Amino acid sequence: RGSSCIRIECIFFSEFHPTLGPKITYQVPEEYISRELFDTVQVYIITKPELQNKLITVTAMGKKLIGCPVCIEHKKYSRNALLFNLGLVCDARTKTCALEPIVKKLSGYLTTLELESGFISNEESKQKLLPIMSTLLEELNATGACTLPIDESNTINLKLIEQRRDPLIVQEYDVPVFTQCKDHFIKSQWDLTTQQILAYIDGFRHIQKISAEADVELNLVRIAVQNLLYYGVVTLVSIFQYSNVYCTTPTVQSLIDDRSIQEECLNYVTKKGQKRACLRDVFQLYCGLTPGTTVRDLCSRYSQQLQRVDERRLIQYGLMKALIRRLQKYPVKVTRDERSRPPRLYTGCHSYDEICCKTGMSYKELDERLENDPNIIVCWK
Amino acid sequence: MYIHSSSFDLQGERKSMYKQSENSFFKCGEKTSPISVILVTSGSRGNKLLFRYPFQRVADCTSSLTTKQRSPYALNTTGDVLEDPDGDSREQTPLTDQQLVAGFSDIILATILATKSDMCGKKFELKIDNVRFVGHPTLLQHPHTIQVSKTDPSPKREMPTMILFSVVFALRANADPSVISCMHNLSRRIAIALQHEERRCQYLTREAKLMLAVQDEVTNMTETDGSPQSPFRQILPKCKLARDLKEAYDSLCTTGVVRLHINNWLEVSFCLPHKIHRVGGNHVPPEALERSLKAIRPYHALLLLDSEKALLAQLPLDCSPALVRLIKTCSAVKNLQQLAQDADLNLLQIFQIAAHLVYWGKAIIVYPLCENNVYMLSPHANISLYSPLAEAFGQQFPGHDLPSMLAKFSLPLSLSEFRNPLDASVQEAQLIQMVVWMLQRRLLIQLHTYVCLLVPPSEEEPGLLRDEELPLVARVGGRSLSTPSALSFGSPTSSDDMTLTSPSMENSSAELLPGGDSPLNRRMTETLLASLTEHERQVILNIPAAQSPEDLRMFARLLHYFRGHHHLEEIMYNENMRRSQLKTLFDKFRSVLVVTNHEDPVISLFQSPLE
Repeated sequence: RGSSCIRIECIFFSEFHPTLGPKITYQVPEEYISRELFDTVQVYIITKPELQNKLITVTAMGKKLIGCPVCIEHKKYSRNALLFNLGLVCDARTKTCALEPIVKKLSGYLTTLELESGFISNEESKQKLLPIMSTLLEELNATGACTLPIDESNTINLKLIEQRRDPLIVQEYDVPVFTQCKDHFIKSQWDLTTQQILAYIDGFRHIQKISAEADVELNLVRIAVQNLLYYGVVTLVSIFQYSNVYCTTPTVQSLIDDRSIQEECLNYVTKKGQKRACLRDVFQLYCGLTPGTTVRDLCSRYSQQLQRVDERRLIQYGLMKALIRRLQKYPVKVTRDERSRPPRLYTGCHSYDEICCKTGMSYKELDERLENDPNIIVCWK
Repeated sequence: MYIHSSSFDLQGERKSMYKQSENSFFKCGEKTSPISVILVTSGSRGNKLLFRYPFQRVADCTSSLTTKQRSPYALNTTGDVLEDPDGDSREQTPLTDQQLVAGFSDIILATILATKSDMCGKKFELKIDNVRFVGHPTLLQHPHTIQVSKTDPSPKREMPTMILFSVVFALRANADPSVISCMHNLSRRIAIALQHEERRCQYLTREAKLMLAVQDEVTNMTETDGSPQSPFRQILPKCKLARDLKEAYDSLCTTGVVRLHINNWLEVSFCLPHKIHRVGGNHVPPEALERSLKAIRPYHALLLLDSEKALLAQLPLDCSPALVRLIKTCSAVKNLQQLAQDADLNLLQIFQIAAHLVYWGKAIIVYPLCENNVYMLSPHANISLYSPLAEAFGQQFPGHDLPSMLAKFSLPLSLSEFRNPLDASVQEAQLIQMVVWMLQRRLLIQLHTYVCLLVPPSEEEPGLLRDEELPLVARVGGRSLSTPSALSFGSPTSSDDMTLTSPSMENSSAELLPGGDSPLNRRMTETLLASLTEHERQVILNIPAAQSPEDLRMFARLLHYFRGHHHLEEIMYNENMRRSQLKTLFDKFRSVLVVTNHEDPVISLFQSPLE
């Protein structure tokens, strides 16, 4: 299965010829890079010493060339140095970041081969490059991976890795929830830490709790979940409590507009063993979530609609698909009193979730404590 | 840069916010700022780097060049990348931006950035490890016309000639493609101005000569004194062009608004939307901005982000009078249609100018302020006690603090409720000013009511989604009042840049014959209800309110709005109805309608960032 939509148009091998100067020795397919193009970009392919070993991507004449110039110095070479560059060519519009590790690896492999057995400087063995490049081009385009034995002791292993966005920082009070059915994932694919915590990811336990129950150090849990987040295996929601307050977002309309979301939602939120809940009830429930309304309030007001709906999964699904959002409480200490110490946690930057997690207090305890303080106001957002 | 006498000093706040975090910006690699600006030329004297900014100390850059290691097995001490045994590159310590470009010497930059002439007139993009260079190399003369003949003694031939030049911006390699595109745009604009001035009075050649002279001087001094100096520091006071480039760089890193006068003659103005439109710590992608602007309606209003006086002071002398009129007539309580009448402009022009102001970060789109507007605290509002906003609020409204005011909006609050004199000392007018202040700083979002038709499912097959149960939206197209569409943006420099098609306002369904239970009206109602399923129709007709033909007709007429995409105010505007009328109707038909409140997705862009 072809991995990404990167199509490599050409692979070229360029070197500095002792008499002819910079030239393309091999390229597959043949004649892809015109004389004109090479003239324009050769300064970025066979480069001055300052640019050697750097990944260089240059765009010219509608093409993008990615290479890593190598220089090996030794008395045995004419001009005392061997300069070469194995590069890839794509269309100028292609996003080529994923190709960079491959180019770097290839330059490393060739350097090793040359140092060990003079692979490149030897005219006979150099010819083996051509079939190697052909295979590379074919396999990388077809499957995104390539394994090539070069000789008895050397094999090239390459893989195109999709670049993903950096994940958010995972906090102790975040709750990971699987985006797909848990059983889809082969446990053994993951590292030991992840395997240990997998069972505790249920969409309700937060990081701190998972760490305590799975007996894994907090930071390790954070990193493991961040890794799962990176690959889109889990997403993060907030801690569920019946005292929580939520409200709808404009995205809630997608439940009406999008048939696939409807299906998915109704299947997800229906109580186990019950007939599937109807759209109207579920939509009414989501719309019943408003600022000032707790989940408990919702349950008492909409008891009829909740007959076939699991409210915890309703909230979970709503958060995962951004149909609803959580309103968090932020205490702020406002006081004109110069003598009192400046607040550390009650600055408007830390939510109840965070404060309770950090201090070990329960919501109720925190509420009681703050209610008695006339200097504290609470913002919800 | 911008001189305000007013107290609504947003620009000042923004600048002071930046001053505080300037250091952290440079350290952690601000993705929307350039890391360097470089001017190179190519000519008969070869490739030269004329100027670069920021300039590093000479000591820093030579160290990275001396330790040149050849074996790939040796530890790479230049700090660029460390390779692990598989050959994967992994950055151990993220380099500061300064270090990234400092590693490139002047000579190598001249070689790689002064391209061959066939790369001229196009976008130039080069990526080396973690740095991306973008520019627009520009040809000054055709290379073939330059024949430096050694036999020709005429003085003209002896003068070194410049063939091409390029203003290059260096960015972090992972900069957003739209940022790269914008930088290229700026490079091209500066190039156009320089090319023009060169042809007119050899401006670039003269500046280049000055720059090279200083460089030579400093090199000579270094050789005799031995003390390393940066030639670029000496160039600054002597060359206007160098100062312009420095200013462009500084502006891009801070406010995102660049305004240069090349040779004190040609103006180059440019804005980086990523810097201007920042909400909640993220930048708003220009495409999203443009999409939102195309969806503005005549009932929206324009809220200026600076005071009228301050804004007018920023305008160039030759700006359009329509712009001035609009700014003077603009008000947060006036919708765009009213604004058109008051400013004596047509709606087309209003949209054009409004979009222009929004693009440049001078205004945002809101729903016009009125009693019934309901506001709530924005999820992205900075409610920290120590935020610069809190400080500014305290200065603007002495005796009040921002967190307390924001706490009031923890629950949705209408303007009329907010104005309720709980505290007699606060005047009504000041309360409105506070709301405007908070809206300008995106602390509040406005909530609107949306309605959706959802009929209780039939008894026979409950819980299954048959086709008939699919709500109206899937089957009926529905009309909506359209807006002057196709607002196309290039990168507006002045309001003349944009093109529009003429607005087409579909007639609202108010065209239906008013009043009376005539057979015609009854037939109209039937037609409108025909798009529903039999089951839906039955349920609706069984509602007690449906027995009144007037109510039923109104319901049928508004049916196409009941799919959750049109808020109350829009229906009011399109159908020329009162809020109370609509609310009564909703109440009467509540058994088939579901109502919810949330922000308007069309303009919520200006209040919250996209994920």
